[in-house]
Parts: sequence; structure tokens; C-alpha cells
Amino acid sequence: MNLRQGILKSFDAGSYTATVQVAGSLAVWLAGVPVNRGIPQTEMVAGRRCALVFFDDANPGDAVLVAVYT
Amino acid sequence: MQREAEAEAVATEAASSGRRRGGPQQGSAAAFRASVEERLRALEREMAEVKSRVNGLIFLIAGTVATASGAVTWMAAALKSAGTALLVYSVGATVYRVKRLNGVWGSPAAWSHSLASVSGLACNQYFDFDIAVAGSQSSGVAGLWTVIYGDGYSQALDTWSPLMELTLASAGSSVQFRAPSLAVMGRYRLFFVEKYTGSQAYTRAYWTHLAPGQTFVSNTWREPVVMDIEGDFGLAAAAGSGWGWLSTPSGVWRASLSAPVLELGEDVLEAYVETRPQEGRLRVVLRNDDGRYNDLSGGAYAAIRRGSQVDFSPGYVTASGPVASPGARYWIEGWDYVNDRGRALFVLHGSDGWALLENWRARRQFTWGAGESTVYALLRFVLGCAGLGFDALSASDTVTSLSPAFTIQPAESGKGAVGRLLAMVPDVLLVSGEYGYLVNPTATQATDYEYGVEHAILKGRYGCRPTSFNRVQVFGEGLMVEDFDWTGVGDIYDRLHQAHDRNLTSTAAAQDRADALLRHQEMQAADDEVLVPVNCGQELYDVVEVTDPRAGLSAARRRVLAMSFRYVRNRPSPAYEMRLRLGAV
Repeated sequence: MNLRQGILKSFDAGSYTATVQVAGSLAVWLAGVPVNRGIPQTEMVAGRRCALVFFDDANPGDAVLVAVYT
Repeated sequence: MQREAEAEAVATEAASSGRRRGGPQQGSAAAFRASVEERLRALEREMAEVKSRVNGLIFLIAGTVATASGAVTWMAAALKSAGTALLVYSVGATVYRVKRLNGVWGSPAAWSHSLASVSGLACNQYFDFDIAVAGSQSSGVAGLWTVIYGDGYSQALDTWSPLMELTLASAGSSVQFRAPSLAVMGRYRLFFVEKYTGSQAYTRAYWTHLAPGQTFVSNTWREPVVMDIEGDFGLAAAAGSGWGWLSTPSGVWRASLSAPVLELGEDVLEAYVETRPQEGRLRVVLRNDDGRYNDLSGGAYAAIRRGSQVDFSPGYVTASGPVASPGARYWIEGWDYVNDRGRALFVLHGSDGWALLENWRARRQFTWGAGESTVYALLRFVLGCAGLGFDALSASDTVTSLSPAFTIQPAESGKGAVGRLLAMVPDVLLVSGEYGYLVNPTATQATDYEYGVEHAILKGRYGCRPTSFNRVQVFGEGLMVEDFDWTGVGDIYDRLHQAHDRNLTSTAAAQDRADALLRHQEMQAADDEVLVPVNCGQELYDVVEVTDPRAGLSAARRRVLAMSFRYVRNRPSPAYEMRLRLGAV
């Protein structure tokens, strides 16, 4: 399990997933990251920092955006 | 020992003085560029046929090839032979091709792909017409792709292959790619420009090459390497007569395509090699009593540089003379000058391809969706990023059928990514030279060699150890399977290992994972070590038979899990021996 920092780039309220620029990746962003449903969608503002938990660091689908902050 | 030749400047324009070295003086780069651009503008609407004379040394504008439907923004051409050539050009976001056959140009036709913009084209003929395209997709994703216009080798004649991603940048990332150039310099090499318009903007040239043994259609490129060259139009690459050439409006460079070779065998006093499953190291002690290695700045010894290749080839003096094995390949990490009680020594330190993997760090996020790429293809990609070729000596069904969702995190090492991929399959990776070979270490693998009968065993220790675990639980997406080593459970109770992977969506796939985990453990059940005279052909993961009556062993099958090599001369106790660590088959 790994904790990584990122910057929120976009949010899909329908699927409750986000596109995130994981720290260290200048050019390519990670899409489809499941978002903690406890976070109100109004807080999912592009440009805010966020925290990601990768339960399996190799599987982008086995991760969750757990916090968004400024 | 050898290394790729350094590029030498043929003519460059000094940044500050505007003067050129090694060639006639010209005006400023800006003026030169302006004159070229003016000329190109004049030619935009009318692309002219280019014919070569006098072995291609003189080019003349001779006729119209095609009339474009709009302004031509990028073009590239490649010549095959006997009057066959291909010209590709872009009008807006559409790439057109026009082919010359038997000296006659055909009609232009648009390609079968779609991009939102094109920001560069390159073309080279090498079995097929191989093309690089920079641009962006309608989604805003910028990229550099390769594509083949078939000449009947990897792609059917006069058809387009799919676009193959070489590098991408997300929409809105302020990164774009431009101006590729392509040439076969020993192997395919590709140059392009990466432009970043965010904070601390840059416009830098990058270069890459195909991984060893890989063809253009495999699209297995080394991670692009940054170059100390800036500018929107990058470098033009060409190859010929044993040289690779690069040029910009303000400079021309060339590098020999043959690597200088330095033979060190006579100077070797001691050599030590350590080979483990994911690590290989070399230490060579050379005589330096006359200070021959004190100056590495010029002459033959200039080949000794960090990153130079060392081919280590042990052998024997036989009845038919000295013979040596092809040996292993290492890359120099560094060296020491040693004063050992009056003895002057020069010690080289090298590491094998695993260090190349360890030192490759992902520059960005790499992501593959489930079903997109098999573990085999992912391994080939990661090894290629580190400049290593990839092939299989044997392979499990799983490695070519499992296509997991997979990501490589920014700054993660190639070795880490390979380790995570290998953890999904029963296969292991044997790194030899500049290749990684997949090996499926099955219990039924044929015996490769025998020790203890004709090849003496000098020392031996044969151990029995418990495995780390003898019971496996694999948790997939909504499922769980188990596997057991019942003999082990009976001996020492159950030792549990759990694995979690949501990529596993069927019990069959989860069972394969459990089997693979236990298979890796089975090989650890034996813990033997033998000291033998050097076997020049010994490789990791070979299966050998061991006969040692003092330990009650007769043709006992073992697998080589690690080995060390020691060569010492000019010492009271000379040595030429190997120590093998053996596990169960």
C-alpha cells in the first residue's frame, strides 16, 4: 500500500472518479481514480492538491482519492 | 571493452560569437533560418520532384510531384532503390503519401488515421517505409507516434499500420512534441523536440533508439534521453559510410558507428563476478605498475569511461589452443586506483543489465488498462525503456495471456516494475548481455549439465530448509482461492502467504497466481552450495545434476540460483573457480 500526492485535474460526478496529476508526472495524468464518496463534489475543484492511496501500487484501478485540500 | 562513439562536431556555430568551427563562416542562425523558411514558403504549394545525381551528392529540382490541397506544413521523404521512393507530407492535420515506383510518381492519397494536428514528420526506408508523426489527438492529448507504410515486410504493401504510441502528454499538460527525425545508425534512432510551455518553459531535443533485437513494428524504444540542444526544429538525422550524422541550422555533428575496442585480458590479475537473480556485478583488478591506466583522457584507454561496456569472457587453454566463451556483458560503474603495499592496481567495477533497469526511473505515469497488454508485452516495454532487448527462452501460458491493469508510478525504477510483473507469473528473468530472457522454470526442465562425475566438485554443502510459506491464499475481484504444499504443512504446520490483486477476475487466473507463488517457493526448498572449477557456459536457472557420494547424492537435480566466479593469479594462492548456489528444480 502506498500513499501518493497529486493535483486534481478533473472530476466526473457520475462515476465519482477523478483525473489526477500524480506528483512527479509532468506530462501524463492518471484518469479514472475512484474518489472517496464522503468528499462533496463541490470540493472537487481542479487545481487542488489531493491524497491518493494505492492499495496495489501496480494497479491504477485499486486506488482511492481519499482527501482533497488546498 | 567498448563504448558507443562520441559525437564530434563537423561544423558548429558558437552561441556567442556567431563564428563557425571547422567550416566556412556563415551569417547568424536566425538569418540562416529565415532564408530557409523563405525558400520553404516559396515551395509550399508546389512540391518538386527531387532527383539525385552523382551518387546522390548533387540534388536538382526537376519536376512537380503533386499539388497539395493547401499549405504543406511538414514533409519527409525516403528513398528505397531502383527509383522507388515515398514522400509524406501534411496539409493541416492530414498526412498524405505519394509513392514513386519505377521512376514514376503516383497520386497522393491521405492516410487512414486521424489526428487533430500534425507537428512533425519523419520517414525512413528500412524493409518498410517507417514513419514518425508528432501531433495531437482530438482529445487534446499530444503525442509522438510511429507508423509503417507497408513495403511488404512487417506491413502489407501500400497499407498503413496502426499508429503506435512512443510518448504521450495529457491534454492541458502544456507539453507537446515536434519535429521528429529518423535514421538507422547501427539501429533505429529517433530524434524529436519536447516543448513545455508552463513555468520554466523549455524546448529541448530528445533522442531514443530501438531496443536491441527489436524491429520497428515492435515499437520498443528506449526511454527518450534529453539532449543539450534547444530549438523548435530539433535535429536532422542521417546515416551513411559508417557515420551517423546530426545537423541543425547552426551545427553539424557526426559519430562513428563502429565502437572502439580495448582488449584488457593480459592485464587482468584478479576478477570477481557475482550473479544473483536480480543483480550481476563484476570487479576486475588490472596491473598498473607502469601507470598505464593513470591517464584515461586519450589514446586507447579513453574507452574506459563510465557506461562503457565490458565483455567478460572466461575460457580455457585447450589442446587446440585458448578458447573463451562469449561471456557476460557489464557496464562500467566506476574504478579505483589502488596502492597495495607498493603494488599499483587499477580496479574496474561493473554491473549488468539489472543495474540499467534499476537506474531507469519512470519520467511520468505509465498506465495500461485491463486487457490492453499482456505481462509479456509489459516486460518487453519496461526492458526497452532501459535499453534492453527482450525475448523468451521459455514462457508460461500466464505470461502471454494475463493482461492486467498496470501502472508504473513516476520515479519508480524499472527493476521495481519488472519485479511486480514477475510476481504475477511463474516465469523468471535471466539478464544476459543487453537482453533479458524470460525463463519458465518448470520442474520438468531438461538437465543442462552435470557436476561430480567429469566436472569435479571441490567443496559441497547440501542443505534442507523450510520455505517461507506453504499455504497461499489469493484474493481477486470478489473471489479467493487457496493452494497448499501439503508435505510442508505436515512437517512444520501451515505458513500462510496472502496475495491481493483485483486484476484477477476468474478463479482460474487466481489459481494460476497461487500456483506461481508456490512454484517460486519450491525452488527454495533446497539450499546447496558447491565449489567447482570454472564452467564457462554456466548460466543462472540452468538445471544441473549433482553427484557427490560423500553426501549421498547421485545425479540429484538442482537449479542454479546464484553463482560467483573468482580468478586470481600472481598470488600465493591462485584461483580459477566458481561457487554455485543451488536450489530445488
